[in-house]
Amino acid sequence: MAKTTKAPGAGSAALPVGLLLAVLVPLLLMPLAAVFVFAFRGGFKDFLSALTAEDAQFALRFSLLIAFLTAAVNAVLGTFAAYVLAKYRFPGKKPLTIAVNLPVAIPTVVVGTSLLLLWGPIGLLGKALAPLGFSPMFAPAGVLLAHLFVTFPYMLGAVKPLLDELEVTYEEAAYTLGAGKWQTFRYVILPALRGGLFSGTLLTFAHSLGEFGATVMVSGNLRLRTQTAPLFIFAQFEAGNVEKANAVAAVLAALSFAIFFFLLRWSGPTGGRGQGH
Amino acid sequence: MGRLGSSSATRSGWPRSLLALLVWGALLLYAVWPWLPGRGRRTRPRTIIVYGFSILGDALDHSVLPAFARHWRAETGERVEFVTSFAGSGTVTNQLIMGVPAHLALLSLELDAQRLATAGVIPPGSWKSLPFGGVVNRTPFILLVRPGNPKGIHDFADLGRPGVQVVHPDPLTSGGANWALLAEYGGAARHAAPGREREAGTAVLRGVWKHVVAQAASARAARTQFENGFGDALVTYEQDAVHGNEDEAKKKKSAPKWEIVYPPSTVLSEHTLVILDKNATPEERPAVHALAAFLWSDEAQKLFVANGFRSVREELNGANPAFGHIVDPFLVADFGGWTRVKKDVVDGIWKGEILPGLGK
Repeated sequence: MAKTTKAPGAGSAALPVGLLLAVLVPLLLMPLAAVFVFAFRGGFKDFLSALTAEDAQFALRFSLLIAFLTAAVNAVLGTFAAYVLAKYRFPGKKPLTIAVNLPVAIPTVVVGTSLLLLWGPIGLLGKALAPLGFSPMFAPAGVLLAHLFVTFPYMLGAVKPLLDELEVTYEEAAYTLGAGKWQTFRYVILPALRGGLFSGTLLTFAHSLGEFGATVMVSGNLRLRTQTAPLFIFAQFEAGNVEKANAVAAVLAALSFAIFFFLLRWSGPTGGRGQGH
Repeated sequence: MGRLGSSSATRSGWPRSLLALLVWGALLLYAVWPWLPGRGRRTRPRTIIVYGFSILGDALDHSVLPAFARHWRAETGERVEFVTSFAGSGTVTNQLIMGVPAHLALLSLELDAQRLATAGVIPPGSWKSLPFGGVVNRTPFILLVRPGNPKGIHDFADLGRPGVQVVHPDPLTSGGANWALLAEYGGAARHAAPGREREAGTAVLRGVWKHVVAQAASARAARTQFENGFGDALVTYEQDAVHGNEDEAKKKKSAPKWEIVYPPSTVLSEHTLVILDKNATPEERPAVHALAAFLWSDEAQKLFVANGFRSVREELNGANPAFGHIVDPFLVADFGGWTRVKKDVVDGIWKGEILPGLGK
């Protein structure tokens, strides 16, 4: 902040900053504040008892677990996809690049519907697999599948630009020094990707934690079985239990805020406007 | 994102990354805690999965299902647990068709049971062999208005007056909304001159729908919207209103945010139970069928009455003093059953004549 106000003089910054705040306060900050105000309206004890209810605890734990799994799987899959797309030339590379980025552009509800139509009991694959006892829809596996789909491009988007800019000379140097493919990847490429890996994983985690559209379609919304925290919030709000909904909403908002804080702290100096060093 | 995302993280040094690691580790531990091995996980008790339409949530989760669990334990010594899910009746029906693993479902509309039969989820007409033709309980359709009834609303026809704003559940996803359509149409049609029934019913429906300002996916969600200050009137189940008032009184909050108005003539909705045998293993079926039978027992019917539903057994309904008097109650059977009403009123008049006129 201090840096940006230096150039045109403090007087001229007051107006634009004031205007920005006038827009942002009702648009972003007040709705968030409302969640916290409502969550604590009945006092801290009510907030705590709403939060420690069995179904609320399950929803939070289940959401975190799915987020950890999604982040872990997509960290590996996304990095691999980025590596292949950045380092190899092959026919159909362009369409493939577009395809792997597609989940960003598709509404999440559509993702949920298409997963149901593929894996569901009446779906294309689901019909064939159901007799084998494999039916992921309306089960935790289905939620994971949906989250992997929806968050796939985040890792890719964080890592691929770094790989694209990583000069081939480093790799070549490693090879000439007698390093194998794996050693080169492990000791040359991976360290250069650290920042991207980190922010990509966090973004994936945060997005998975808040995913609603696809989850509501594939989870069956079963309490204590497949109900994630966002679904819990929605169900409780619909049922008129605003305090219960808000207790979990407040925790979810605080968690997301903490993750974002991490994200800025870690990728800040190098990411975005990072001419830092 | 990081254009030159080189290894700034190495700058951070040990303490900070250690702290981050600890925080994330703690979060992970919290998440997996209930699933950790060696935590002496008790053997999972028998589980029955019940789906229901929106307003059933409290009655089932907090009174009827726990009562059955006690009953079952006393009889067999076995613990039984429930997994429940509640949404608009149409939404539940779609989920059942898509294959959610429910054992029992309580729908607000016999039409939804018919849809399930058509989709092959349950045998056609299977619910009719249950007691009372599968109807577990009833509740009349009423109006909720703001305290003091400032707009002077006494019947469905009054909703068509200028300046009245109506909150209504969406007939596409809510069974209750379909009952509401029948209540609005039927109340007028029953008291019209012979031969003018259709005209009178259509006029009231048109008046109501001209003034609908919010459509929620379920009756329960519509009440939440009304509670949050939308509209002058809400068309909904008596149960939701009676039970909602008790809720508020229990929480010792400010006076109820509404008043119940009983229209002179309205429909009693009937809620149909379906058993999804295909989702239950042979070992699970006895408990599932016992629960189904339990729903018509004295105990369960009395619990439904205590929760604001009207029992299928008239003699039990005196127990709830909150029930109001309806001059001329009627049933869907009086209009030829749901298949007919769906074709003539919901699709024919509401969808065919009224909705297309609203956009203009």
